[in-house]
Amino acid sequence: MKIFTCIKYVPDTSEAEVKLDAGGTAVDSSRFSFDINDADNYAVEESVLIKEKYEGDVTVVSIGPKNSDVMIRMAMAKGCDRAIRIEDDRIASYDPLMVARVLAGAIKDQEFDLVFTGCMAEDYGQAVTGVALAEILGIPHAAYVKKVELEDGKLKAHRELEGGLMEVVEITTPAVLTIQTGINEPRYAPIRGIRQAQKKELKVVNLDDLGVPADEVSAEASQIVLEKLYIPVVESKAEIIEGAPEEKAEKLASILVKGGLL
Amino acid sequence: MGNVLVLAEHRQGELRDITFEMLTLAPSVAEALGGEITVLLLGNEIDQMAEKIAGYGVKVLVVDDPLFADYNSDKYQKVLSALIDDLKPKLVMVGQTAQGADLAPALAVEKNLPYLSDIVGLEVEDGAIKVTRQFYSGKVNARYAFKPADTALVAVREAAFEAAAPSAAGAVEKIDSPLKEDLDYRKFVEYIEAEIGDVDITQSEILVGIGRGLKEDKNLPLAEELAAVMKADLCGSRAACDAGWLPSDRQVGTSGKTVQPKLYLCMGVSGAFQHVAGIKGAKTIVAINKDPNAPIFAEADYAIIDDLHKVVPQLTEKLKELKG
Amino acid sequence: MRGMKMTTENQTFTEKFDLLGCIQCGRCTGGCPVTVRTNLNVRRFVYDAYNEDLLEELSRVADIWDCTACHTCAVRCPKGLKPLEVLIGLRSLVVESGKTEPTVRDALESTFMEGNPWNKPRATRNDWMEGLDVIVAEPEQKVENLFFVCCTIAYDPRVQVTARNIVNLLNKAGVDYAFLGTDETCCGSEIFTLGEDGLFEMLIEDNTEMLNEYQADRIVALSPHCFTTFNTHYPDLNKPVIHYTQLLAELLEQKKLAFKDGLEKKIVYHDPCYLGKQSGVFEEPRSVLKAIEGVELVEFGRNRERSLCCEGGGGKMWVESESKIERLAETRVKDARALEADIIAAACPFCVLTLDDAVKAEGFEEEMRVAEIMEILGELEVMQEKPSSAQEVED
Repeated sequence: MKIFTCIKYVPDTSEAEVKLDAGGTAVDSSRFSFDINDADNYAVEESVLIKEKYEGDVTVVSIGPKNSDVMIRMAMAKGCDRAIRIEDDRIASYDPLMVARVLAGAIKDQEFDLVFTGCMAEDYGQAVTGVALAEILGIPHAAYVKKVELEDGKLKAHRELEGGLMEVVEITTPAVLTIQTGINEPRYAPIRGIRQAQKKELKVVNLDDLGVPADEVSAEASQIVLEKLYIPVVESKAEIIEGAPEEKAEKLASILVKGGLL
Repeated sequence: MGNVLVLAEHRQGELRDITFEMLTLAPSVAEALGGEITVLLLGNEIDQMAEKIAGYGVKVLVVDDPLFADYNSDKYQKVLSALIDDLKPKLVMVGQTAQGADLAPALAVEKNLPYLSDIVGLEVEDGAIKVTRQFYSGKVNARYAFKPADTALVAVREAAFEAAAPSAAGAVEKIDSPLKEDLDYRKFVEYIEAEIGDVDITQSEILVGIGRGLKEDKNLPLAEELAAVMKADLCGSRAACDAGWLPSDRQVGTSGKTVQPKLYLCMGVSGAFQHVAGIKGAKTIVAINKDPNAPIFAEADYAIIDDLHKVVPQLTEKLKELKG
Repeated sequence: MRGMKMTTENQTFTEKFDLLGCIQCGRCTGGCPVTVRTNLNVRRFVYDAYNEDLLEELSRVADIWDCTACHTCAVRCPKGLKPLEVLIGLRSLVVESGKTEPTVRDALESTFMEGNPWNKPRATRNDWMEGLDVIVAEPEQKVENLFFVCCTIAYDPRVQVTARNIVNLLNKAGVDYAFLGTDETCCGSEIFTLGEDGLFEMLIEDNTEMLNEYQADRIVALSPHCFTTFNTHYPDLNKPVIHYTQLLAELLEQKKLAFKDGLEKKIVYHDPCYLGKQSGVFEEPRSVLKAIEGVELVEFGRNRERSLCCEGGGGKMWVESESKIERLAETRVKDARALEADIIAAACPFCVLTLDDAVKAEGFEEEMRVAEIMEILGELEVMQEKPSSAQEVED
């Protein structure tokens, strides 16, 4: 079983207050921590689990800066065998259709059975790359996969729909699966393992190395234009309860009980 | 002519809300583009659904064929692809749902369409379509334009728009399936319903919700103790359930349950739209979160901007006192 | 350093922990504080671990995660062994397999990526300084006291007060000090006890290199965990490390510091395991508290070397025991209640957090509170006492 797993290095903004740079065209990321995209982490684990069960090998593919090597090494420490990191400023990385073309450029001439991506990236939240990648590669896909069954050469993907309902689809391989969080429990990459993973191959390439024409994946090629960013005004109708923590608790308790909400 | 083509979404015999939400957005766009709205409905034995959609004053194109008895992104793509060639709509709308997100990106690639997913706003300025979507779970808004193209494609976020009310009578037109035979590379097998655990949160009167801000499972008693005093059931965001703090049948949001308690008190929930979409039915919402810009505050009736670890234990105590 | 590591890696489990030195006297388990609430039997593990074939199986026993690394077993061992490290060795096997609890995994990953176990960005490490007049260290600048804050104190809003108050005190007392910038990185205390040897080694190497660059006379650690870890696991540090209570005791002794206000409170001091039984610092925190006029300092029955562990160490901030039996911290606050203490004073962020929870769990919030020593001092007006002799010393 030959697997390609596509991962992305993203900022963790779950708790941070997000600020824009002076120009309002970029997010000030100086106070963020960066890590593997959550869903991609599950995709890495799923690919390693499948490799462990059915034998085979896993190649990590990522578009990103040198800083993201640490994330790639962690994936290799978990059991991925080699990695390709694509670094090229010419890529319109805000457009997932361009990103998918670049990833396809790295995968298309290789031998593979499965391609995994996370179902969505935490930063831009587009949920586009994996399905677009399948179309470019000309192979079937299933999105939001929360269980993978491989039996007798048949692939059954359990897709998570709204309301917790699962849709089971049978698709032929090679195929692209976009992995939903919660499909497994990602393992820890011990530091010794990360050090040993230094020996595994991490190829850093650009568009020319991949043979992907830059003018097919650049801002010029992209059909979308990101005009501006702004922090949305949270239009709250909420009554804001003020005071020290204890006062706030007391006021809220009173509202809940005396207001008949409890 | 700037026509708008909307893909109706249904599942297990019922039209999904996103269909009507898109019908809220579509009329203003069609008007600004100087075109009309066509809704595409694919399925088998779907006359009633077709009539219902037509009641929104739109033209409904129906492909009623056993080939479409179950949803299949690849089959849908083939039909949409053929219709885009025929109808040359200026804009195609699908839902940013487990169906739409499984379909639209591939369609965009196939037809080389400018595409933006998960949109929360769409306006037409001087004939040009401008789209708003969000970064970082709603902490930043991004405004995009499409470069000139015959047809653009958008996937509309669920619950971003209110569902429209039926208006005038429209028309239903049945067409032959552009797809003539089944596909061999993707087949629908079955639906598997989520198991319902000991508590069915969709029926709960009072819910206490937890999110990533709870930090770790050892803080769970904080929420459990509050829930006990409030006689509430516990539920959580996707993050809380993925972390294993709660079983997945307690997950609230687009990929979990839609709840309708009379009181929903959430702590450490930032209010990502996937979660918020699941609490629209709550009558009163109380949010405790330390980030003043957390989107959850837009939904809340009462807001406490503070560290939940400081406030919640106090709240539990105060409620104990007040309730005797 | 590299040579040392190789031998360690080639050692058998038995050699590494000197298992053959054990005489199975059972004083370790006999003194182990967590036995009252969990099934942990450390003597048994030391015995069983001798069989290398059993190691894998032993590493899957949940009990190994009950150890709080208080070191009571090590203090009591007549053969000078550290039985707790056998448990840590077994934890290492779990970590190496990658199958840790998700909470442990996240703490370790965060430490590797961001230098702290709390999943916080490195860039926000010094946010606690906001609004304070703090001197931040530069490597080439000579300074007497270089402060090492600790991840928990830097990020946890409950205990940040420790750092904030000491800054104010240092400024008022005119002490020559500086705090590390955001390059301060986890000392590895809890990383070691969670069994992540590789990461711990990396932290030791990186921190040693970083700290050795600073032209400081000594390092002052705010947390006993960093203090003890530097002193026991960092052989190549080029400057001594003291705990802040030692600095305060010194300032009081030299009459460079005095408290203007009194405090009419009964205070019981809780010896943190990492400060007391592991590093022998018993008197300095007490002398600081005694320097406050009006304070009645009382003692727990179990004090100094016999101090009851709060269960905050040994990586327990990230691993919950299954046990439903009363937590040791709850026993501790009940003891404090029996003494009718107004304040339980501690000098460790983990003790403060666990004891605080216990006070809430027992419903004693009205009667008593838990306070870091710096929290108490912060409520007093500090003055810089300058008798002529001290001034000469300073100049």
